[in-house]
Amino acid sequence: MTGLARAAFSAFRVSIRLRVISPWAYLNWLVFPVLFAAVGLYVLSSPGAASSHVVYGVLGGGLIGYWSVAYLEGGNGIQEERWNGTLEQIFATPTPLWVILLGKICGGLLFGLLAFLPTAAFAYVGFHAVLPALDGGRFVISLGVLTLSFFCIALTLTPLFALWRWAFSMLNGFELGVYVLCGFMFPVAVLAPWAQGVAGFLAPTWAVRALYASTLAEGPHNFATWWLAAIGLSLAYLAGAYFLYALVERRARMSGQLALA
Amino acid sequence: MTTNPAIEARQLRKTYITTRGVFRRERVERAALRGVDLKIAKGELFGLLGPNGAGKTTMVKIFTTLLLPASGTALVLGLDAVKDQWALRKRIGFVFGGERGLYWRLSGLDNLRYFADLYRVPPEVSRRRIPELLERLDLAGREKDRVELYSRGMKQRLHLARGLLNDPEVLFLDEPTIGLDPVGARELRVIVRELADAGKTVFLTTHYMFEADAICDRLAVIRDGVIVAEGTPSSIKTLVHDQGIVEFEVVGMPVERLAGLRSLPGVRSVAISEHELAQVVTVHCARPADVMTRLGVILDGIKLEKVSSREPTLEDAYVQLIGENPTNSEASP
Repeated sequence: MTGLARAAFSAFRVSIRLRVISPWAYLNWLVFPVLFAAVGLYVLSSPGAASSHVVYGVLGGGLIGYWSVAYLEGGNGIQEERWNGTLEQIFATPTPLWVILLGKICGGLLFGLLAFLPTAAFAYVGFHAVLPALDGGRFVISLGVLTLSFFCIALTLTPLFALWRWAFSMLNGFELGVYVLCGFMFPVAVLAPWAQGVAGFLAPTWAVRALYASTLAEGPHNFATWWLAAIGLSLAYLAGAYFLYALVERRARMSGQLALA
Repeated sequence: MTTNPAIEARQLRKTYITTRGVFRRERVERAALRGVDLKIAKGELFGLLGPNGAGKTTMVKIFTTLLLPASGTALVLGLDAVKDQWALRKRIGFVFGGERGLYWRLSGLDNLRYFADLYRVPPEVSRRRIPELLERLDLAGREKDRVELYSRGMKQRLHLARGLLNDPEVLFLDEPTIGLDPVGARELRVIVRELADAGKTVFLTTHYMFEADAICDRLAVIRDGVIVAEGTPSSIKTLVHDQGIVEFEVVGMPVERLAGLRSLPGVRSVAISEHELAQVVTVHCARPADVMTRLGVILDGIKLEKVSSREPTLEDAYVQLIGENPTNSEASP
């Protein structure tokens, strides 16, 4: 293992350790997703609701938890480092910041995946809701593409939090915006046309669409297009991240904003 | 001064730019460093003294690649702190004072392992070096406790252990003893001195004069981003060699006699305080010997006790440099 890979893995391990002992992390992957799932399942399982929409209750809470943990690892994680006084410490090591954040975000993603367990269990036990038409292969691929899109968004946004302290105040707004725009708990089709247009530029929109489609028999399904759209947008985010990290490296050293003061 | 310094600043300047105001945003510039020149030899323990906001931490952050200067050059081990940051970071260590900068919910050992990986220390080296550092810094046996359970002194020693993980050639310490109890501070000073004796170059900033006097090979005093004095501790003291302090105790001295003391040539101030039945008089003056020889005349008929004179301390020199002297001073080496 090279030095950089070892550093990234070490950041991943620390991210997992800090989450395991953080009560706040349990709220994000356990409590909040189950609450969202409960509300969603209650509404979507009511008489008269389309049976195909029950999947949004089964998976929606998990998706919200997954996104929340992955996204927070980027934004809140940086702010926590700043509060702890460790942001300057890690920035001044011979390991580039993006390598450290890559490890931390991977840790957040792994932890975020846990959110599917309590929501799926809750849906099964509480509402006897299952995914009868689940296409396992496409589901796994779609989840992988979704993970890639979350990873790329988190990796792209995180330097902004390192660079601008005020970016932290936008954290909740963007988190909730993605819930809504990407169709985590209801189809994007119910959104206003302009909102659907905005959603089209968000990689998770396409990955989530593929994910839900993999649980439904009725089509039409166009998995290849959706996967490619999500992967293409994710790679575009990564290209932007490349320039952002260079900017952060320089601007942070000019302004001294890595410290709390 | 050495021709091949470990640390060198050439006309180093740094200006912080912020804004103020809500509706009418106003650009505010604050100069933190105003053309600093400095050379520190390899293996030297160099102390930078100065009040809050003088530019000490800014200078450390520029040398440790955390900040970019506005202009000028900052070299460490011949590497440019602006352009060669990746190569430089592998060869330096730094410790900031205070308790922050550690992962409190992780153990001390986990903190060290993490930073060893971030400093790209090979695993076979870190497996040997971390126990050595824990032993040397008196943390062995507590390394598996969470950092939040550590005393402040232990946290500061852990900071130092982190700063030494990559076996740096140059170590920057920014007020490392701040907030420590006297025993903890003394232990840390001993360790720092040992590091310098072992050949490491140490750049130390501190508010504590006795600390700088005790362990530093050479000092500089910075005020408002300008180095106002530089030299060995004893040579800095010579900047106020024309000053001294005469102290004596008297009983029942009339206040009007103080005027006689104040009128003596070279006397800068006279202070009087009550001490049980006696009065303690402190005279700050240019020539203590002159004052002492004339005391008998001025205080004729009054019983004098415990007359003493002392040399100016580094603190006296510092106070004069920071509080009075606006121009650069070069102490004789």
